[in-house]
Amino acid sequence: MAVQGIWSGTISFSLVAIPVQLVKAVEPGHVSFRVLHSKDYSPLQRRMFCPEEDRIVPPDEIIRGYEIGPHQYVLITDEELESVSPERSRTIEIGEFIDMKEVDSIYYDHPYYLVPTKGGEKAYQLLVEVMRRTNKAGLAKFVLGEREYLVAVKSTEGALALITLHYSEEILADEDITPREGKIEVEEKDRIKKSIRKMMADFEPGKYADDRRKKIVDLLKKKVKEKALVEAPEVEEEEGGGPPDLVAALEESMRKVKKSR
Amino acid sequence: MSRKVVEIAGKRLFLSNLEKDLYPSYGFTKAHILEYYRRIAEFILPHLKDRALTLKRYPEGVEKDFFFEKRCPSHRPEWVKTMDLRRDDGERMTVCLVNDLKTLIWVENLASLELHVPLARVGSPETPDSMVFDLDPGDQANILDCARVALILRDLLLELRLTCYVKTSGKKGLHADVPLNRKETTFEDTKNFSKAVAKIMQKNYPDLVTAKMAKEHRKRRVFINWSQNDSSKTMICVYSLRAREKPIVSFPLSWRELETFMRQHDPEKPQVMHSNAVSRAEHRGDLFREVLVKEQKLPHL
Repeated sequence: MAVQGIWSGTISFSLVAIPVQLVKAVEPGHVSFRVLHSKDYSPLQRRMFCPEEDRIVPPDEIIRGYEIGPHQYVLITDEELESVSPERSRTIEIGEFIDMKEVDSIYYDHPYYLVPTKGGEKAYQLLVEVMRRTNKAGLAKFVLGEREYLVAVKSTEGALALITLHYSEEILADEDITPREGKIEVEEKDRIKKSIRKMMADFEPGKYADDRRKKIVDLLKKKVKEKALVEAPEVEEEEGGGPPDLVAALEESMRKVKKSR
Repeated sequence: MSRKVVEIAGKRLFLSNLEKDLYPSYGFTKAHILEYYRRIAEFILPHLKDRALTLKRYPEGVEKDFFFEKRCPSHRPEWVKTMDLRRDDGERMTVCLVNDLKTLIWVENLASLELHVPLARVGSPETPDSMVFDLDPGDQANILDCARVALILRDLLLELRLTCYVKTSGKKGLHADVPLNRKETTFEDTKNFSKAVAKIMQKNYPDLVTAKMAKEHRKRRVFINWSQNDSSKTMICVYSLRAREKPIVSFPLSWRELETFMRQHDPEKPQVMHSNAVSRAEHRGDLFREVLVKEQKLPHL
């Protein structure tokens, strides 16, 4: 694929190493908006504001602090953060193979594709095929961006997918949320089983679309068509015409031009 | 629906709806459009190269709805060159780069009649390689008023030792491009400079020129839109077709031609149709070539 990879390196286990590229598998389809000033439709900017000094703080005066108590912070510099950041992975080293059925979908974080790069096509296809047949997934630790992830590499529709997984400590315990186990009536259980069976279908994701997104896009199209557009004012700070030297040079040149015309 | 397979540079491409008339009141089909772009390719490609393309698609023709597409369509062939950009709002976006004939034909098969590109290349998105004066006539003004403004602008810039080149927008206006091609230039520079020029023009020719966007200032005047000098803006690419009644092209003119048109007082004369565009480009080469290569420094900034 000619898509720009997010990462490239090799995927390996025991003696096999396959050159691959990581590409994104999903492109979120949400519609994003700019925020405007209601009075004149100027696009607004976010600024950092210091309530103490009652002024906007420039970027070079901004630092990071971890809040440990009321009005108490530990300062952390960019260098310190960097010193604890893991080094970029060059390989995805599969440590073990697991049964994908054992991974509860609640652990799934974000999907990517792995695509073979030059020379890796054959071994890649082999791995795809074997993993598909055995329904196994490889587990590996992998650094992407600044973070180290636990990832599952699995076969999906003729390709390898890489799914970043949540660490177990990120998963909220469900004890407090789900009701205590009570006695379940056999009849009740059968009735629910039957209803589920009646509603069984194959998973066809194409049947479902993000309706809200579609409605927003339709609404926007309609409004564009109706010319329900507003125009932001041009930014006109001062009446001066720009850098003084340039204005002087332009004035002088303009005099010459007018004279020769 | 007619489909046809063509092979360009070893890649197979499926072309569809070739008989569909996309300029119905003139009579110009998708096949005609593809043929125009195929013939103009050697001239337009250097100006599209390595720039994030904004597609402006007219799937039902110029009289029906269009839509802009900044993202490269996801159903693209694997050989289409793309680039991942981060937009101002932090979102990632994959854009198409039209660097060769096959990609140009693919894009045109999507009925992207108009090709819009930024003033900077993808590798250096904050470095404009030219400064543009978008001359846009208000109500009751026309392209000949723009020509008058362009000629004054040319003389004014020459006094500052800057050469500029002019093209028709393919709609009602003209674009004057000042090549810079220096990696030190920023959009802040080009914006400040063009704005100062627009203001001095307005001050000296108040009945002819305005530097203000508001409609009421533009009546009977030419609006010098300096605000196009921005990393987030795009301009119609030279040699691109425009979606008007007729297949008119954004086309480079020589200054001498522009002076002649002014004397003839016919606002239709400067417009260049698809067929003329190809023969004129083939005859005299790319008058806009210098815009891509000439190095000039903006003085007094």
